[in-house]
Amino acid sequence: MAKVLIPTPLRQFTGKQDSVTVAGATVGEVLNALTAQFPDLRKQIFNDEGKVRSFVNVYLNDEDIRYLSKDSTAAKDADTISLVPSIAGGSAVEAPPEAALSNDEILRYSRHLIIPEVGIEGQRKLKAAKVLLVGAGGLGAPLALYLAAAGVGKIGLVDFDTVDFTNLQRQVIHFTADVGRKKLDSAAEKMKAINPNVEIVRHEVALTSENALDILKDYDLVVDGTDNFPTRYLVNDACVLLGKPNVYGSIFRFEGQATVFAYEGGPCYRCLYPEPPPPGLVPSCAEGGVLGILPGTIGLIQATETVKLILGIGEPLVGRLLLYDALGMRFRELKLRKNPECPVCGTHPTVTKLIDYHQFCGVPQPGSAAPDRETKVNEGEIDVVELKQKIDRGDNFVLIDVREPHEYRICNIPGAQLIPLGEFPKRVGEIDSAADIVIHCRTGVRSAKACAVLRQAGFQHVRNVVGGILAWSDKVDPSVPKY
Amino acid sequence: MIRIQPEPWAAMVSHAREAYPDECVGAMLGSIDGDAKNVVVAMPLQNAFEGAQAERYELRPADLAAADRAARERNMDLIGIYHSHPDCDAYFSQTDLRNSCPWYSFVVLSVQKGEFHHANSWLPNFDQTEAAKEELIY
Repeated sequence: MAKVLIPTPLRQFTGKQDSVTVAGATVGEVLNALTAQFPDLRKQIFNDEGKVRSFVNVYLNDEDIRYLSKDSTAAKDADTISLVPSIAGGSAVEAPPEAALSNDEILRYSRHLIIPEVGIEGQRKLKAAKVLLVGAGGLGAPLALYLAAAGVGKIGLVDFDTVDFTNLQRQVIHFTADVGRKKLDSAAEKMKAINPNVEIVRHEVALTSENALDILKDYDLVVDGTDNFPTRYLVNDACVLLGKPNVYGSIFRFEGQATVFAYEGGPCYRCLYPEPPPPGLVPSCAEGGVLGILPGTIGLIQATETVKLILGIGEPLVGRLLLYDALGMRFRELKLRKNPECPVCGTHPTVTKLIDYHQFCGVPQPGSAAPDRETKVNEGEIDVVELKQKIDRGDNFVLIDVREPHEYRICNIPGAQLIPLGEFPKRVGEIDSAADIVIHCRTGVRSAKACAVLRQAGFQHVRNVVGGILAWSDKVDPSVPKY
Repeated sequence: MIRIQPEPWAAMVSHAREAYPDECVGAMLGSIDGDAKNVVVAMPLQNAFEGAQAERYELRPADLAAADRAARERNMDLIGIYHSHPDCDAYFSQTDLRNSCPWYSFVVLSVQKGEFHHANSWLPNFDQTEAAKEELIY
């Protein structure tokens, strides 16, 4: 027998009694007898399965019976039993209920669910997560495939490019049959095929200072898979301004880097590189080449960091720049520190809104200068068709190819003399300064630099081949392969 | 309908302001006549959440039992629980709902930038899936 104290709101079920003395040898028996005596009380204390409701704690005198013998705790005549709800709360928003997993999803993600660090809670976090991938190219390909497979609920893709043949060597999300299709369509199709549960948002735009904040604001974190400096600074600054982590990766030939920027308390891209390199100093993959497997390695390091951040497990790659050398097969780590003087994330930021990143990096706006260069021939330049006529006429002139020897072996214009740009300054003496000189490379960028070197050295008749050997292949000799 | 008398109301508001930017929690004692609840004493309790208290609170069952005991000793009823939402509206969050109890009124005070802003009272259901808004007079 024991006395049960009845909480105020339940006294309406006990004939207004604030305590009831009930027979029973154990707490369980007492509660059953109590609710037998007052049947309306039963629903308040027990659920449909006859178990004490989750929010009810049962106390015997001052002790929670969970720490005694639970239902079998002995109840003596002098004992008092209290029913005390467990109450907590707060403004914090837990994972929304729609992130619950269906039985199909539980089966699909079972190898995640059985890892204690992930489990059902972690998988629900992945499902509730919103990740933006900037770029659906080399880094974006493995990121998109694996993040979709892992069950990230919403993945946004920013890309406005179409698939071309040179992408297929590394951008494994795009297949040969996709050449000519929008990268967004090609990528979304593969991601849906891997995991139909993933919501894919296509942003078919170039990320700009005008649209970046609007696009990024709907995502939890941003993964930078871009290949140019203006977009890299743009993504970084937008992430800092919005307080979203920027999972960074970059690749060149056999080497890659990865880190997490703009994570709370950690450095940003500008802490590492306050100023962009001079235009043209750091070649892009299109200019310098890249081992096709490399973006797989780096992209998956980014994907790993993304998943860790979502799950809140492990040690994030914050304040550490991971360097990967595929030829030596070595990983190294550089410590990165947040720069208090950083213009965007420092203590007194001077960049408080997005700026003109093409101007900042000293490169022309895409779509403005570039197309002109293919059609318009300025002074000091020569069109490939005119070059062909010149060769056919048998004009007396010197044609110089400033590409690298391995490029020359892929294809060349007959009669061209190979002087790689790097060797140019010391080999200027080999060139007759009185001759009519025409210089080409792959696209016309390096040969423009070579022309400038010669003109500075006093050469009078120097012309640059607009569009390089790529234009030659397009307009003169289609049998010359493009690379 | 829940009516909070000026004295307990002032105590609740000052408790919420003092706890800012953390959440505060306390018990409301008084009398109940049918659906009409009258709060005459506010009893501040300790936020026992282990972690960032800016957006979470937890009430020790022993403290709630003590509040219930205090009510009995004064011939009053334990009517409900109040807590604050710093820099958030006085909604009943999913966290509130999942850790609630249908027996009591839950008064939420919104404190914006350290000052009281507005308040609501909520009545959660048994399954902790919904809370109905209760008329609140203060």
